[in-house]
Amino acid sequence: MSDKVKNMIFGAIGALALIVIVVGLAEGGAPVPTDAERVNALASSIKCPFCNGESLSESQSSVAAEYRVIIAQRVADGATDDEVIDEFAANFGDSYILDTSTSSWSLALWIVPILAIVGGVVVVAWMYSSGRQRGKVGQ
Amino acid sequence: MIAYAGYLAIFIALGAAISVTVQGIRYSRTGDASKLRLPVSVLLGATITIFVVLEIGILSGDFSIAYIANNTSSTTPVLFLFAGAWAALEGSIVLWGLVLAGFIWLVWRQVGDEDGLGVLALAVMGAVAVFWFGLMASAANPFAVCTQAGSIGCVDSSWWPFVETAFPVEGRGPNPLLQNNFMMAVHPPLLYIGYVGFTVPFGFAVAALIRKDFGRTWLDRTHRWSLIAWVFLSAGILIGAWWSYEVLGWGGYWAWDPVENASFLPWLTATAFIHSAIVQRRRGMLQSWNFVLVIATFSLTILGTFLTRSGVIASVHAFSQSVIGPVLLGLLAVIVIGSLGLFVWRSADIAQAARLDSLSSREGYILANNLLLSVFAFTVLFGTMYPLLVEAASGDEVAVGRPFFDKASIPIALLLLLILGIGSVAPWRVASPKILWQRLRLATVVSLIAGALTVVSGIDSLSVVVTIVLTTFVVTAIVVRFVTVVHSRPESVFSAVPKVLRNEPGYWGGQIAHIGIALMALAIATTGGLATRDLIALDQGETAIVAGYCVRYVEPVSRVEPNRTVSGVRVEVMNESCTEVIDTLEPRLNTYPGSAQAVGTPAVSTGLVNDVYLAIAGGSAERIELNVFVFPLQWLLWAGGLIVVFGGVFAMIPKPSRQHRTSNQSGSTEPAAEADASDE
Repeated sequence: MSDKVKNMIFGAIGALALIVIVVGLAEGGAPVPTDAERVNALASSIKCPFCNGESLSESQSSVAAEYRVIIAQRVADGATDDEVIDEFAANFGDSYILDTSTSSWSLALWIVPILAIVGGVVVVAWMYSSGRQRGKVGQ
Repeated sequence: MIAYAGYLAIFIALGAAISVTVQGIRYSRTGDASKLRLPVSVLLGATITIFVVLEIGILSGDFSIAYIANNTSSTTPVLFLFAGAWAALEGSIVLWGLVLAGFIWLVWRQVGDEDGLGVLALAVMGAVAVFWFGLMASAANPFAVCTQAGSIGCVDSSWWPFVETAFPVEGRGPNPLLQNNFMMAVHPPLLYIGYVGFTVPFGFAVAALIRKDFGRTWLDRTHRWSLIAWVFLSAGILIGAWWSYEVLGWGGYWAWDPVENASFLPWLTATAFIHSAIVQRRRGMLQSWNFVLVIATFSLTILGTFLTRSGVIASVHAFSQSVIGPVLLGLLAVIVIGSLGLFVWRSADIAQAARLDSLSSREGYILANNLLLSVFAFTVLFGTMYPLLVEAASGDEVAVGRPFFDKASIPIALLLLLILGIGSVAPWRVASPKILWQRLRLATVVSLIAGALTVVSGIDSLSVVVTIVLTTFVVTAIVVRFVTVVHSRPESVFSAVPKVLRNEPGYWGGQIAHIGIALMALAIATTGGLATRDLIALDQGETAIVAGYCVRYVEPVSRVEPNRTVSGVRVEVMNESCTEVIDTLEPRLNTYPGSAQAVGTPAVSTGLVNDVYLAIAGGSAERIELNVFVFPLQWLLWAGGLIVVFGGVFAMIPKPSRQHRTSNQSGSTEPAAEADASDE
């Protein structure tokens, strides 16, 4: 079998598989989390008071266990994630919400790493182009 | 008596460390390493003495020493007594000093005559040792004597040994969490060997900067040391994760706790360094960058030490708050300002990098890997320090945790996997699209098919599907490359395989580690994205179904062990129809003397497909509340980690000499590019 034919077969199978992936994921839509998964995600987003900086999901203290029960109760009652987070933020204070989404400081937290990657790409691109310039001069 | 011997040894070690530094600087011009024989040997001997004396004190239960009274007890099992020598702050500094003295001695053995670089590197390492032993002699003295005994343990102690000594009748014993599993005896030493190991490349880098010796010599000489440190750091982090999963009972292995992050940060920069060092040794590029990475890695190890021991950040890992925080911060400042200042001062003299022929080349992909790893490290560092920064700037209190770190790291990690797959098989200088496609087409197709099968099987989590595609891509690309190289040799497959591996242990060790990383990524995705978590309450004899498993509460169990009281439940894990017992588990609560809160210990049934993880959540012996977690492919995380460590060890095998390799390849009719996997 010539290499060209091989490439065509590989290309065709790959394209077909890609279509299955894209269509399958689009059909399925975003998976809906179960209540238990939501409780776990919420507990991971809230810092446990008096627990050495652990979140409510990690801490094995009885305090954390009680708060997990409260979250489970609120989720079972039909509260949305945002509502639960807001309730805890109102009770504990914003500094106990680990995803900082309720804080005005959350923007900088995200922007700085993005700037870092953009800066890195710019530096590499600059190195590459100046290297090429020098190469041309050298020739 | 013990205290006096320990004190004496500490001061001798401090004197020896000063001598290593002074003599090292003095003889760096002539490079006469034999002049360092005495101080290096005395340093090692005195440090071993410190450690042995501390162990004797602990094993003999000498509670007149405050550290021993407050961290061990007469009922502590011997293994945890032994580990008590590094289980708390002062002892951890002793272990640190021991590892450092060991590294200094090993490096000294390799320093030849007229080796100015090696002697100056020893001087730098000696200076670091001066700091640690100075700390041991002052703020973190492990032999401080007890001056006021409490009902258990020691309430007040004195740095000065010639005072009236109090003898507590019983010690406080170690932190309950630390005596709950033997891995706690192993995890810190591995991490410390990793942390301290980076002192060696740091010492050589600073020496090279001072001597304006910017070539590849310092990299060649520290190549193996960096790998050793990296392997131990990897193993230490892995065991810590395993311990967290098996012992803590929250069902996870990584909490993005500040101190966990502090161990991950130098790992990221060290991983970047191991890769960028290859580029400089191979192509002469990235000379400045390698200095930056080594300085960053060493600084981050000190930052980790500072975070653990200063109390600035609340963490389950933190030692008790102590006065050594500001001292460590001072050291960090000296190292960062001093070494970066030296680097900036010298940077004008560092040769301009050789030209990057093409962004699509082995060096180009390693550059991308370095960019991503650095941004990863920066992001984790920024997120970890962010609450401190915000509080310092505005007084506001914010918290950063799992939601941020997970969201930020997933895209970076997935991009890294993609680059890893391509870069592993890309040739140096220029990787044309044609050759890349030729090497990657099978991996591309296989990985897409794997993704399609995943979707068809009903898994609709985008991150899981993408991870499965990328990890399959990485593993297949590497396997295909290996098979191609083996087949390009004239011998039979069986004799070709060892020859291929032996010819390029560095390259293939790296690929083994890459496969391990891919397997770990797969496990991280499946255990994160496909886990089932449930909280069930069961009466004795009752069953419940969770994620296709039938869980039955058999009976309560309780027993008294020498150092703890165990109360738990026996639970059978069965197939879905409750007819066949797969495993019998005993999740429990351990209560240690001197500690009010019971320590929960989960029980895990590990299977080829799923881990079934049980932890007591509450309830009573009559009606128990259990957390039941089902984690798919969890074992791949540990297996992948072991493969990573093995790959690192494999990469340390010395490369055969060029002549030997040529004779190995004689008779090969294939072009060199095919016979040599890394495309020299």
